[in-house]
Amino acid sequence: MSNHSKSKTGPPIVGVSKNMERVRELIEHVAHTGLNTVVFGESGVGKEVVAQNLYQKSPRFGKPFIKINCAALPEGLLESELFGYERGAFTGAEQKKKGKFQLAHSGVLLLDEIGDMSLPLQAKLLHVLQSGGGFSPLGSEKEVQTDTWVIAATNHDLKKAIDEGKFREDLYYRLNIIKIHVSPLRERPEDIPLLIDFYTKEYAAMLNDRHIEKPSAQVIDRLCVYSWPGNVRELQNVLKRMLVLGDSNQIVDELLNGERTSSPTSEATNGPNQQVSLTQIIDLDGKNSPDNQSFSLKSAKKEAVEMVEREIISHVLAKTDWNRSKAAKILKISYKTLLYKISDLNIIPPEK
Amino acid sequence: MKKPFKLLIIDDAEEILNALTNFFTKKKYDVVSASNGLEGLKHIEAEDAAFDLIITDLVLPSISGVAIISIAKKKFPDTPVIAITGWGEHPESLAKEAHADHVLEKPFKLPELEQLVIKLLADE
Repeated sequence: MSNHSKSKTGPPIVGVSKNMERVRELIEHVAHTGLNTVVFGESGVGKEVVAQNLYQKSPRFGKPFIKINCAALPEGLLESELFGYERGAFTGAEQKKKGKFQLAHSGVLLLDEIGDMSLPLQAKLLHVLQSGGGFSPLGSEKEVQTDTWVIAATNHDLKKAIDEGKFREDLYYRLNIIKIHVSPLRERPEDIPLLIDFYTKEYAAMLNDRHIEKPSAQVIDRLCVYSWPGNVRELQNVLKRMLVLGDSNQIVDELLNGERTSSPTSEATNGPNQQVSLTQIIDLDGKNSPDNQSFSLKSAKKEAVEMVEREIISHVLAKTDWNRSKAAKILKISYKTLLYKISDLNIIPPEK
Repeated sequence: MKKPFKLLIIDDAEEILNALTNFFTKKKYDVVSASNGLEGLKHIEAEDAAFDLIITDLVLPSISGVAIISIAKKKFPDTPVIAITGWGEHPESLAKEAHADHVLEKPFKLPELEQLVIKLLADE
């Protein structure tokens, strides 16, 4: 997302689809209310853009807009980031620190990936919301009173999370006073040409208006049929690649081909041809030979499992355009486990 | 003849909205109905919005009944609001916090709702 230094205004809501019109209409009607809001939508659809638009159209514009990602930090750290701490509250708390809730006072606090917040922290957040913004920082006995507009964003189905016991129902209702749903890009392809136009101009401006070739009508048509698993963020990355590399057609070829080969049906038909013997994969005749001193069933198995995991995770990451929360969902592992595996298996993101 | 009382009724369940609208229209109320929160909000924000009473479902898509109550009470503190709910405790307590005058749990009988409307309009 663009980072304008002079003002904090983010991009507008771009698109002509029913969903985008509805989102714009909702923003117009609710931005002044300051009522707790949840923005739902897959990763990369622009939930933060919606939050910024709410903020810009609200009387709180000009006051702080603070964002925190609830999935990126371990529970204890997230708690101290949100609510702050007193000097000496815990080992390493060398000086007092204000929490994001307090920093966002009179402005907006965007709680991104709220669905990943732990249950104990959900309880604390609920308590703060119930008390109208009051809480005590860690290690402090004094209560701080804040007036913060809480906007939460999530790519989870929170109703399902409630059924699974992962999300508090009472917190759900308290946050969900206003609900804004942003559809995935594949459900609103009519927005794609406008998004291309908008971001091409924006990137051109970032590159000091160096002459930039807009993708041709034919390329745009082809981009409209792609399914965009990474949504607008993926589109932005593809556009940047096109602007830098210039070879739009080849980039579209790769996108569409990648989609074709990675679809489950084609995999099933390709399967037998690509079969390589397990002996070869595990390298039983080479470095993992039982003749080697270091050989053990356990270590060979571990290596084989890692190999398979690396292959599958890389594949899913490539498919989701390195959208980790989406990849974690597909793999049915937690976000944290995925981050751990990426570093443990040394999976390296493609250069942007 | 006395001007009829003007009601705003918001519910996303079509059969309930129709039933309420028909019932109160027959009872000679001037009824404006809305099938979702945004539509209801537009009526509240309209310049000629002069509702004597608002009846809203609590669980609505996009703009919830709780939001409707908060916004309506801010703009028209004296207009009574009845929240109807078929759900658990949480939205109900939120409705009270938002200063709904009454929370009515589904299922209810239409005459019961009418009595409540008459009482709230008389208190006003």
